[in-house]
Amino acid sequence: MNSYYAATLLVYAGVDIIACLALNLQFGISGIVNFSFIIFQAVGAYAAAILSMPPDTANGGYQVYVGGLQLPFPIPWIGGALAGGLLAIPVGLVVLRKLRSDYQAIALLVLSVIANSVITNARPFLNGAAGIAQVPGPFSDQVDPLSQSYQLLYVGLTFPCVLLVWLIASRIVNSPYGRSLRAMRDHEVAATALGKNPVQMKMTIFIVGGIIGGLSGAILVGYIAVWAPSEWLYPETIILFAAVIVGGRGNNVGAILGALLVPVGFEEATRLIPATIGGWVPPPNLIPAMQWVAIGLLIIGFLWFRPQGVRPEPRRVFEGSPEAEEVDRVRTA
Amino acid sequence: MTTFRSSLRVPAFAVSTLAVLLLAACGGSTSTGGGLGSGPLLEGVLAPFSGADASFGPRYLAGCYAAALSINGAGGIGGRQLSCQQFDTRGEPADAVPAANAMISSNSNLMGVVGCTSDEASTVVPILDRSHIPMVCMTGQSEFNKTSFKYFHRLVPPDSFDAYAMIGSALFGPNHAPYKRIALVFGDDIGSQNFVGPAVAALNKLGVTIAINQAIHLGAASYRTEVAAMLQTHPDVILTETIGSAGTYMKEVQQQNGGNVIPFIGTSATIDPVWFQQVVDAIGLPAFLANYTAVDLRLSLQGAGYDEFLTELTAADSKFSGSNALTYKGKSPTVHLYDGIILTALAMVAANSSDPTVYNPKIFEIANGVSGATVVNTFKDGVAALKAGKSIRYVGAAGENNFNQWNNSQQGYNLVTMDKDGNEQVVGQLTEAQTQKIIDAGGNA
Amino acid sequence: MDLYVAALGFGLISVSVIAIAAVGFTMQFGITNMINLAYGEVMMVSGYAAFYVNRAGVNIWIAMFAGALAGAVLSFLLNRFLYAPFQRKGTNLIGMVIVSLAASLMIANLMLPIVGYYTSSYVVDQGPLLRSNGLVLTTAQIAIIAVAVILMLAIHGLLRYTRLGKAMRATAANPTLARNCGIPTQRVIDVVWLITGALCGVAGVVAGMNSENFAVSSGASYLITIIAAAVLGGAGQPYGAMIGALIIGIVTELSAAAIAPEYKEVVAFAMLVLVMVLRPQGLLAKRGALAAAG
Repeated sequence: MNSYYAATLLVYAGVDIIACLALNLQFGISGIVNFSFIIFQAVGAYAAAILSMPPDTANGGYQVYVGGLQLPFPIPWIGGALAGGLLAIPVGLVVLRKLRSDYQAIALLVLSVIANSVITNARPFLNGAAGIAQVPGPFSDQVDPLSQSYQLLYVGLTFPCVLLVWLIASRIVNSPYGRSLRAMRDHEVAATALGKNPVQMKMTIFIVGGIIGGLSGAILVGYIAVWAPSEWLYPETIILFAAVIVGGRGNNVGAILGALLVPVGFEEATRLIPATIGGWVPPPNLIPAMQWVAIGLLIIGFLWFRPQGVRPEPRRVFEGSPEAEEVDRVRTA
Repeated sequence: MTTFRSSLRVPAFAVSTLAVLLLAACGGSTSTGGGLGSGPLLEGVLAPFSGADASFGPRYLAGCYAAALSINGAGGIGGRQLSCQQFDTRGEPADAVPAANAMISSNSNLMGVVGCTSDEASTVVPILDRSHIPMVCMTGQSEFNKTSFKYFHRLVPPDSFDAYAMIGSALFGPNHAPYKRIALVFGDDIGSQNFVGPAVAALNKLGVTIAINQAIHLGAASYRTEVAAMLQTHPDVILTETIGSAGTYMKEVQQQNGGNVIPFIGTSATIDPVWFQQVVDAIGLPAFLANYTAVDLRLSLQGAGYDEFLTELTAADSKFSGSNALTYKGKSPTVHLYDGIILTALAMVAANSSDPTVYNPKIFEIANGVSGATVVNTFKDGVAALKAGKSIRYVGAAGENNFNQWNNSQQGYNLVTMDKDGNEQVVGQLTEAQTQKIIDAGGNA
Repeated sequence: MDLYVAALGFGLISVSVIAIAAVGFTMQFGITNMINLAYGEVMMVSGYAAFYVNRAGVNIWIAMFAGALAGAVLSFLLNRFLYAPFQRKGTNLIGMVIVSLAASLMIANLMLPIVGYYTSSYVVDQGPLLRSNGLVLTTAQIAIIAVAVILMLAIHGLLRYTRLGKAMRATAANPTLARNCGIPTQRVIDVVWLITGALCGVAGVVAGMNSENFAVSSGASYLITIIAAAVLGGAGQPYGAMIGALIIGIVTELSAAAIAPEYKEVVAFAMLVLVMVLRPQGLLAKRGALAAAG
């Protein structure tokens, strides 16, 4: 049994679950269509990287980046989470206004494209297109990062984070605050009439989502030790959105399911497609291209046959009324 | 009110999804011990097959096919037949890690790996090294110039050397006086980053004027304004790569410069039929022939080793019909990786072991050759010589290899151009002294 | 100063390419109320359709019609068999965006095995280079600008002076009311997709001519610029899209001259975000889509 591959899957699952929980808070519960989500994961990864790396003259001096403070765990992870939250402030101020949901989505999408382009071209800042490599993971001085025990260690560090995030997310979702958020999502005007402040609530949940997203980036970069612009192009956000929608938006279990099904399940399962099919060797680029076609079909299929997701948002009713059933809810804008 | 009861009811199939994947991750046990073992062997091609660099994977795979046919035609490795399989890294590190891990865990009969480009090398080389898998990598990153990874081998020079060679061409090239004002026009991708830094450092140290150092966004719709800005600095020569956008850019140069193209020097990656076609379509053949030179790895494309390669590549082209193997017959990566695989196979035979910790060091020995070694050009000849008790040196399709202490091998550069059919032609060479002067100026040799 | 004048001239070409595409895109949005993120891919497919015709020996200006046809047919089918069914089902706006994204993913990856990863280019006779007061343009480029102007006038004429145009504007403003007035909205929508699809096709060919080299990946890169132009001018407003294209095209080229060229697109997008923040409805303030100017 290859523990490295198993560990990779588990760590990736953890990171994706955390990211989908964050996105679910922003999109599923609060209705903010954050098509720039991936930049929060990216800023967390970059922050964790520059906090844990030695100064850029080290390792032969091939990379140029700011920071390089060589701080020990858990500071880089905390720093990553904070960076995500800090990024949410200017982004939120710019975009969280009375924009139609699809406009908002487009503005955020364009922001993530701009960010990627700027980081790629501003080389001395974060080493441009090559990105930052040889990022030391937590405890990599004490435990050899290439050993099996390190893999166990990393999984052991990731899963408490997943649990912590799940607890926080559950607290938010199942609280009166969560009720206000859902009210704001479903009928913003009515919620405002009841005295809720939508702009403030959106900003708050945007920051919370940003913090959690940043944490997911910090965890990921510590494991793969490299972070480059190619890893946070805008389609990555789309994959996460597909995950939340397929799994079932508006509830945490749905988000977890979606994370396991889409980024982990679909993307990894397609690696298991055999190289030769009954003796026929396809052209080398064919199967990778068909994998993406399959993902597209899967998304469309889910949206058609089960738009509420694998696990729909449970319908909440007041105590004293007949037992709530899960009903098909296809929301219109 | 929703209770925690329902949210804790994590559906069974989420767990089973993960379980299926974990089960799939189980591979067999690795074989150890003396002797070559039995059963088929696998060479992994770990490279981008989708995404922005999707064109890289197939050219490496073609080299692998040719090598496998050559090896199997000579009876395999102790009778073991070699096959090739692609593992798509999708051109980015986060996808490369599971690709590498999946490859290792599902295949206990990996002989070696080729590929590992600069898109993913930083993450996959440590993974492969820890699993003791001999690799022959294509990354041009300078990080690997003095690497401590024992299983890493590189048969191509780092990208910074390409940059130095281009400067050498500009300063010492045949058929022209040394150029005085140099324009650097490169894209904003990783590969280009590896060129520009060393080039700028070297030029500054040598006191040559950099007319303009222009980074362009690859794949943009047009470069009219960029070209206008560049022309205003009056360079004598343009050093460039800009894969995919070269035609667009050079066309503008021709148009705005009154129909005249400025001489341009390309990297070794531009020696490519597709690049040739794009730029010739854009500026026309006469302008191309008059103004283009490039630098290329000293690849003679002749000799017994190359003949064997070409034979097997032709066979691979018809056997694996989708691979278009023959289109890569002159491509340096294809030829070099073919040699890398033959070297790995000969190392296994020489060590008479299927344990990579035993045969990995032999790769170095067979490439450099100990004194008195018999020179062989094909796998078949190598096996025969080894059987006769001789020590061998493999001089293959790409010629000689000379690994330094960091398993980096390179043979220096030719100054080349292309003829009207896009075939490469050598027009000059840089001397040791010239090359050293530039490397010293640019740093990190 | 010369550089800026030249940049202005180059900007006009960019404007032409973006305008043709953005008008089609915005009309799709105005009438069917959805952001068609597969638009860039349809442009790319049409570009390739024209490419094969062109390589078979046909002059590019005639092959352009093949591109227009391909665009029209593909867009029509996309709506008929994918978008309209989802919309009838009541899928919300974000769901539709994701559907169109999935469609673009599939189209691009289906094209890849067919045309390969390498770039292609048209056989175009650029004609003599004309210089005047700092402007530097070839005859072919001037022809592109002319095509754009003709198409813009044609759209203007269609919307303002024909019955079909009036029906389109009515359907855009209020589909239910339009239907009640006897307008066959279903057929109007089909025609809109055919016309905008044709625009999309021409845009794809012209973009390919503009870029000299294009590939499957070009589709995604067209898209963001087109959305920027359309939204800048006011989504759903064809005249707005023309203005948006004008601004984006000129600003892009001028900033390439004034600032570093690798950021030229970033500047254009930043402008878009600024407009969305300050004036989310875009520059042309009218609420209903496809209202005639004036």
